Amino acid sequence: MAAQVTDSNFEAEIIESKIPALVDFWAPWCGPCRAMGPVIDELAAEYDGQVRIVKMNVDENPGTPSKYGIRAIPTIILFKDGEVVEQVTGAVSKSSIQDMITKKALG
Amino acid sequence: MSEPKEETLHRVRNYVTKYCAKTGLTTHSMPEVTDAVVAGLANHIDTLGKPLCPCRFYPDKAEEIKSRTWLCPCEDMKKYKYCHCMLFVNEDGMPVTEHLPEGHEGIATYGVTKDPAPEKYNPPK
Repeated sequence: MAAQVTDSNFEAEIIESKIPALVDFWAPWCGPCRAMGPVIDELAAEYDGQVRIVKMNVDENPGTPSKYGIRAIPTIILFKDGEVVEQVTGAVSKSSIQDMITKKALG
Repeated sequence: MSEPKEETLHRVRNYVTKYCAKTGLTTHSMPEVTDAVVAGLANHIDTLGKPLCPCRFYPDKAEEIKSRTWLCPCEDMKKYKYCHCMLFVNEDGMPVTEHLPEGHEGIATYGVTKDPAPEKYNPPK
């Protein structure tokens, strides 16, 4: 199960992370977010120790999505060394996220 | 976040049924996808007075309502038959993207997906 991050620990957990980090920005009543949730959980287990894969509830944490200009959700952002290296929106496939991680985070 | 009223849920479900018939689209094969969006729309009706799309982040929901852009059916739905929220999808469970303009994020995410009922595509003039 992917951990949840908040506005208050985003800096420490993601920006200062020693390994790449992927954040799923979601909301409880968003249909495609419901579809993506299990995929993100699977990826968190698969990449454990290599990529920090977490979720952020935008309804409870408005500061971070505002900072990153998020509008449609789910939005998935991949960070490396505290910088955004890739961003996708919508119910994307698991393989496309794996490709993104391989090319942009682990490559 | 409070649960929506049962009567509001009923209203939204009726709306979804009628809008599917009007557009020739269907709801998602995963009931939890549809249930989440219906509950989100109902919650926004109960709390904000309008069916604001629950699949977007708004820094200020009350301000967002004034523009009407993301009130269901949203501008993307009315103009392009595209529902990012996956409330109205084709038979493959995909949002329709074939009417979207080049460069729209829906094409980048889903590729070009077909409208199963193009005869029911009536964008505003």
